Amino acid sequence: MGNNASFKLYYFGFRFRGEVIRLVFTAAGKEFEDVRIDPSQWPQLKNQAPFGTLPYLEVTSGSQKLVLTQSTSIARYLAKKFKLAGRNDEEAAIVDMYADQVSDVLAEFAKTARESDANKKKEIEQKIENEIMPKNLKLFEARIAESRSGYLVPSGLTWADLYLFNLLEMLGEKRVMVLEAFPNLKGLDQKIRNNPRMAAYLAKRPITPF
Amino acid sequence: MVKYKLYYFNVKGRAELIRLIFALSGQDFEDVRFQMDQWSEYKKNTPLGQVPYLEMVEDNGKVFKLGQTLSIARYLSRKFKLTGTDLEEQALVESYGDLIYDLQNEIVRPRFEQDETKKSQMLKKLFDETIPKYFQVLENLISNNSCGYLASCGLTWPDLFLFTVIDNWLAEKKDSLLANYPHIKTLEEKVRNNAKISEWCSKRPKTDY
Repeated sequence: MGNNASFKLYYFGFRFRGEVIRLVFTAAGKEFEDVRIDPSQWPQLKNQAPFGTLPYLEVTSGSQKLVLTQSTSIARYLAKKFKLAGRNDEEAAIVDMYADQVSDVLAEFAKTARESDANKKKEIEQKIENEIMPKNLKLFEARIAESRSGYLVPSGLTWADLYLFNLLEMLGEKRVMVLEAFPNLKGLDQKIRNNPRMAAYLAKRPITPF
Repeated sequence: MVKYKLYYFNVKGRAELIRLIFALSGQDFEDVRFQMDQWSEYKKNTPLGQVPYLEMVEDNGKVFKLGQTLSIARYLSRKFKLTGTDLEEQALVESYGDLIYDLQNEIVRPRFEQDETKKSQMLKKLFDETIPKYFQVLENLISNNSCGYLASCGLTWPDLFLFTVIDNWLAEKKDSLLANYPHIKTLEEKVRNNAKISEWCSKRPKTDY
């Protein structure tokens, strides 16, 4: 695929699993068409998606067209193309490991969305707030300290940092308060927010509940 | 020369995919298996507090540790040529791996449900709806390729992953489950009958799952 490919992302209008892809495009300064699908329209559009799921990405380069699915595989592909995946195979594997860890936490949030029983839902939410998030925040805090770059890996910003940033946003209004206890995470969050391209994107993107 | 050491419980579980990658590639590795009561000892040395994790030791003593099953699978598959050859092909291969990972999580979930009524409801939904939904996507993918594997370029790590998911968790119902999915059935047989894979399966420790 050539370096002058055009990109069209299909996802729902919220952040959740698809946002990391938007953040990778933004951090890399690459244009993409950001198709946001209304959940009410999704049933009619479902059979256009290769696996019947969102997000998916259409990549067009001349006469070649590629359709990719699965949010983290899409994000990793773009990150590799845009040099946001770590400086060598070993660092890229560590970046992948951190991203997989973030995915596991997001999967816990997905459980609450799926749970119809109000008590069970509250139970999962509390488990996330009292156990899962604190455990993972401590883990990532320590890893940023170790890397000494202010980001997850020594060579600097990678897609795992953007994905972690996305996870921190799931804290919602509590984010600022929670991050007070984690100076390295707070620093990473700030650095990403203050990046000019990111700041411009964050200022104009639609506000969504998650 | 790198020495590989894989750490996991003494079961197939999430580590078996990685063991199969080593087996298929003809790469020696130390298959460290520990008991549940040894977990707190081993946990201290894990990269992220979980297993499986992989340790690679170079001749000069340098140690590289990697956690998360799929990250390990992707990393080794790049080294041992069990993934796509360019970025686009690799992204496609990885997406098949992600899909099968989601399927595995769905299969394993009912096992943790304590309430027997809820559990049997979950299992019914799993076999009536969820597995067929995933299997149909996988069946369509394989049927597009003349090689009979998920990726058009030939055998890649998600094929091994699909094999382990069926072998670990669906073995008892395999024949009835695969009856409607001839391409998955053939893929499963091809992997199982591969010389290196069948050698590994015959000599690996026998465990419940």
